[in-house]
Amino acid sequence: MRELTYADALREALREEMLRDPRVVLMGEEIGVFEGVYKVTRGLLKEFGPERVRDTPISEAAIAGAAIGAALAGLKPVAEIMYMDFVPICLDQIATQAAKMHFMSGGKLKVPMVLRTQYSLGRAHGSQHSQFFPSWFFQVPGLKVVLPSTPHDAKGLLKAAIRDGNPVVFIESGMLYRTKGPVPEDDYVIPLGQCDVKRKGNDLTVVAVSRLVNEALAAAVKLEQQGLTVEVIDPRTIQPLDLTTILQSVKKTGRLMVASDDVKSGGIGSEIAAAVIEEAFDSLDAPIVRVASPNMPIPFSPALEQAYMPNAERIVEAAKKLIG
Amino acid sequence: MLNVVMPRLDPAMQSGKIVEWLKREGDRVEKDEPIVRIEGEKTTFEVNSPGVGVLRKLLFEAGADVQVGQALALVGEPNEPLPPETAELETPRLSLAQEAPAVLGATRVQEPPASPVARKMAREAGIDVSKIKGSGPGGRIVREDVQKAIEQTKGRVEPVAVLAQVRTVPVARTIKLSGKRKATAERLSYGFHTAVPVTITMETRTEAVLERRKEHHSKTGKEISVTAYVVKAAAKALEDHPLLNSSLEGEELRVYGDINVAVAINTPDGLVAPVIPKTNMKSVLEISREIRDLTERAMQNKLSVSDLTGGTFTVTNLGGYGVDLFAPVINPPQCAILGYGRTSEKPVVIEKEVRVAAMTTLSLVFDHRIVDGVPAAQFLQRVKELLEDPTKLD
Repeated sequence: MRELTYADALREALREEMLRDPRVVLMGEEIGVFEGVYKVTRGLLKEFGPERVRDTPISEAAIAGAAIGAALAGLKPVAEIMYMDFVPICLDQIATQAAKMHFMSGGKLKVPMVLRTQYSLGRAHGSQHSQFFPSWFFQVPGLKVVLPSTPHDAKGLLKAAIRDGNPVVFIESGMLYRTKGPVPEDDYVIPLGQCDVKRKGNDLTVVAVSRLVNEALAAAVKLEQQGLTVEVIDPRTIQPLDLTTILQSVKKTGRLMVASDDVKSGGIGSEIAAAVIEEAFDSLDAPIVRVASPNMPIPFSPALEQAYMPNAERIVEAAKKLIG
Repeated sequence: MLNVVMPRLDPAMQSGKIVEWLKREGDRVEKDEPIVRIEGEKTTFEVNSPGVGVLRKLLFEAGADVQVGQALALVGEPNEPLPPETAELETPRLSLAQEAPAVLGATRVQEPPASPVARKMAREAGIDVSKIKGSGPGGRIVREDVQKAIEQTKGRVEPVAVLAQVRTVPVARTIKLSGKRKATAERLSYGFHTAVPVTITMETRTEAVLERRKEHHSKTGKEISVTAYVVKAAAKALEDHPLLNSSLEGEELRVYGDINVAVAINTPDGLVAPVIPKTNMKSVLEISREIRDLTERAMQNKLSVSDLTGGTFTVTNLGGYGVDLFAPVINPPQCAILGYGRTSEKPVVIEKEVRVAAMTTLSLVFDHRIVDGVPAAQFLQRVKELLEDPTKLD
């Protein structure tokens, strides 16, 4: 199968959906003429024109507000917020307006929009351009939260998000844009709410999210050399969360680690750990561990940022400690 | 500081009486060393120290009646300060409805760390998790440790008496009571949980059994009791009539997977009914030997809780006291009890001739909520058949 980068896979998803459905429009900072800071929208302005690919002013609140309005009026906007750090500027629009309209209107209104954004942890962009806080969104009923980890998943999930009919927060990882992987040329859609078991194993379940899926896979290779087989599960969407697949795996391995780039307190790891304890307490053979970022602002210095970030090595260490 | 607590030895036990302290305050104690003798409803037993240390405080005098789960004494380091309100120590909360596993001597606090799955597996296998050595981080008992422990128990012959280990009987199948059976049960009993005893009797010729006993005696010089034959015959007949090997629990009939016949034994302190586990798997000779052992220990008041629990059917005999026929009381929660009386020579008609034969009367009292008369009679007939041709018991 041909290989694409994560950025090109996303671009292909956008293009295919725009060809498929004239209601799909793009808006965001520097996505048109400049073709996106990570070139995800390369060529799209030329192909679809400024009506459907709109450069916006530097106002996240305006981007989100316009997207919600467009969605209510019948379009299917895909709005891009360049850095996840700036999503809080439009949090009222997302959490209090977009997420609730369908419910508050008794189902009469729909907000079929996708808010694409990315987190740059690992690129030395500093405390204000690297943050990753998915829990802010999965705590809001009415929002779906998608976190693709591979080019293949990025394309299939973005297409599903665009077709979904509900507001979807689609979080990409800046570190993954240049990673390559096989991507089918056909029109495939990955349903939201399905885990993908990226590697099979019997001794430990690692639920890894976004950037850390590749790190977990690298850790699994190292651990296998030491005689431990690790099952790596990528939830792909954390709202809705496919707990069934995670529970099946934990029932088999008896051990669970959650690896994600968000800070430890109140993060993805906390949520998955709590759900597993509720549902599979009697299957656990060890405490659940979270490999996550420390509860500190992200340092700017590349050396300090490397020390701050979770990685394969830290997953290996935590696994060894867990199994003893 | 470790708590020595009043264990629960069977699900119904609520309290126990302190017979005597085997150690005094200030004595050094080893782990599992007996500290106190307790009298329960069914037996007396010893409670062991949960760890190594000094017996720091006795919380009750001998003679006191102490609730299950309450601390009896404290074991700790010589200089460790005593908790301020030792009487109000937190005790494990065991609900009465729950089939609590026997807790010997230790509260949850000082149990070795064990993972949830390890605890669950141990609980299901009936293994005391505190007896397992942990191999996980920090000595935690993990799944693998319990697996090993289960494999080890498989290969081992169960000791005849393990103090305070309640024997559990595997349930072979659970039958939801049909509406008819439920209605019958309700009709037949005032209280749903009260047995409706019905007695049926049958005479059996005992010569063949007596002949075999004599043979065995002349060959080996050893006695086999008549009870052993009756017990074996009952166990074998239960294989064919499993409904009599059951209990009615609420709206469910539990048909047991093991046949564990209890034998009523009269002791100076009263009647006890120790159990011969898996009776049907044992030979008459083995059964006879076990009855002798149980009787001896019953007389010395040394039966363990294990000996006294898990019975699924009872055999009782008053023949030795000149009784020909009697209707014993069912040993709850069992379904039935088999009594047999004196063996005596009587004139009987055999092939149109009056002859003298050794005769014994069997009486079966069964719970009519569970079994009807015909299957009960068929069971009794089978017992009679087996006793009249004891070669079938081999």
